[in-house]
Amino acid sequence: MFTDIIEMFQLEFIRNALIAGLILAIICPMIGIFLVVRRLSLIAEALSHVSLSGVAAGLFLQKQWGLLMGMNPIFMGMIFSIFGSLFVERVRKLYHSYQELALPILLSGGIGIGVVLISAAGGFNADVAGYLFGSIVAIKEEQLIMTVIVGVIVLLFVLLFYKQCFSISFDEENAILTGIPNRMVNLFFIIIVALVISSAIQVVGTLLVSSLITIPVATSMQIASSFRRTMIYSIIFAELAVMIGFFAAYSLNLASGGAIVLVSISIWIVVVLYKQIRNKLNGRAIRSE
Amino acid sequence: MSQYTVKIEDVSFAYEVQPVLKDIDLKMKSGEFLGILGPNGSGKSTLVKLILNLLKPQKGNIEVFGQPVQSLKDRSSIGYVSQKANSFQRGFPATVKEVVASGLYGKLGLFRWMKKKDFEQVDQAIEQVGLTPFAKSNIGSLSGGQQQRAFIARALVSKPKLLIFDEPTVGVDTKSVSEFYDLIKKLHQQEQLTLLLVTHDIYSALSYVDRVVCLNKQLIFDGDKEAFIRQDKEILSRVFGDVQGTPYLHYR
Repeated sequence: MFTDIIEMFQLEFIRNALIAGLILAIICPMIGIFLVVRRLSLIAEALSHVSLSGVAAGLFLQKQWGLLMGMNPIFMGMIFSIFGSLFVERVRKLYHSYQELALPILLSGGIGIGVVLISAAGGFNADVAGYLFGSIVAIKEEQLIMTVIVGVIVLLFVLLFYKQCFSISFDEENAILTGIPNRMVNLFFIIIVALVISSAIQVVGTLLVSSLITIPVATSMQIASSFRRTMIYSIIFAELAVMIGFFAAYSLNLASGGAIVLVSISIWIVVVLYKQIRNKLNGRAIRSE
Repeated sequence: MSQYTVKIEDVSFAYEVQPVLKDIDLKMKSGEFLGILGPNGSGKSTLVKLILNLLKPQKGNIEVFGQPVQSLKDRSSIGYVSQKANSFQRGFPATVKEVVASGLYGKLGLFRWMKKKDFEQVDQAIEQVGLTPFAKSNIGSLSGGQQQRAFIARALVSKPKLLIFDEPTVGVDTKSVSEFYDLIKKLHQQEQLTLLLVTHDIYSALSYVDRVVCLNKQLIFDGDKEAFIRQDKEILSRVFGDVQGTPYLHYR
């Protein structure tokens, strides 16, 4: 087993992928906790599909017209995702009582554009499959650098806006009353979400990116009582999922995204069972007193 | 500096074409405990939202601490406990301490983190409402009355001069209602706060407030508690309509 791990780290693309994965395992739940408590976890799903349509647009421009040849299509995904996030904010204001309507519109729109562009470019190919399901072999140095930059931006954002994001997430009306600039914070936040998702789809894939954002948070919410602890535990769970998932994907020749998500769900199941058993034992102890 | 904490002059407000408040004039002096009474839909909560600058009047002016409410710089000088306060997501992963601390976040701004002094202020607010043993408990695990106390602590933590309660006893059990009134009476006396209480619960509120304002889209009565009690039947009939056989006449 140890020889496997040593052998694994001798490969540069594996090192790149693991470092990118570990960074994403910090920033995804860090942003994810604010999405989950505001009941906006589906935004991650919708924006990942918009990112895919951006990737498809990038591939289409390269294949059909030879444009932007040197550029990684993920950058185009990032641009699409940012515009998608601005669209969500706009539609949420339009349907004040039905804010979640923005999500199916964006999700189906993202898939629609993506599928049309992919078919126009001559059908699915290995590149697109990598963006759909994640591929550790696809992480190049430029993507690692991009992930590091996004990681630094997210850490700075959370450091500066933690108080404001918490306040808005718990009680937006009260946040406005205490003088928190909610519109500005919401706008910055949704752009940050778009950046995180676009950089994560290379590792876990479009179809699975929201799992890295929501599952570790859902797991830690089972056992943590404070917001700060929920954030810390969710980062720990995400890191565990990425490390175990990567090693399993490499050793068993599996898709990295799927392996990470399955490990993440396994951790969630263990924690839920642990909590239920603990509650039952506590209940018995109280009854016997 | 104005002698009034709140000064409302000739204010009218309508949601689209539906008039809600008409020609309201109201003044509140510093240290006063004012109760605004009225039935559901009488415009009480709208008036509070106008004072808090969450809504803008179509006509008239509102001043708070002598400044037009739109340009009030120190937002932390007003504390607010809303009727929606305890309708938050029950599973929200936050402790009482974190929720109370969030009352300071607007004042701290972007580039200042909580310091020792700020944490002491949070502990003090929690102690004032008697929740110290629950400071580290999850807010969702507390009873309705305890949650309401936590929201009062959040409103108190920035040391406001004016504290506004909008229907604070809705959905709270009888014991917690009387504990709530005892708490705000204590705060009024100890902290010399100016208090504005919006309620339709005449029965409980009258024992505590100094002055009563009755509202039903327009101002129907504005006077001290004794004057209200002397003409209660007539005032309540005008505010609530036919009150015979309703609990409103049996509040004393």
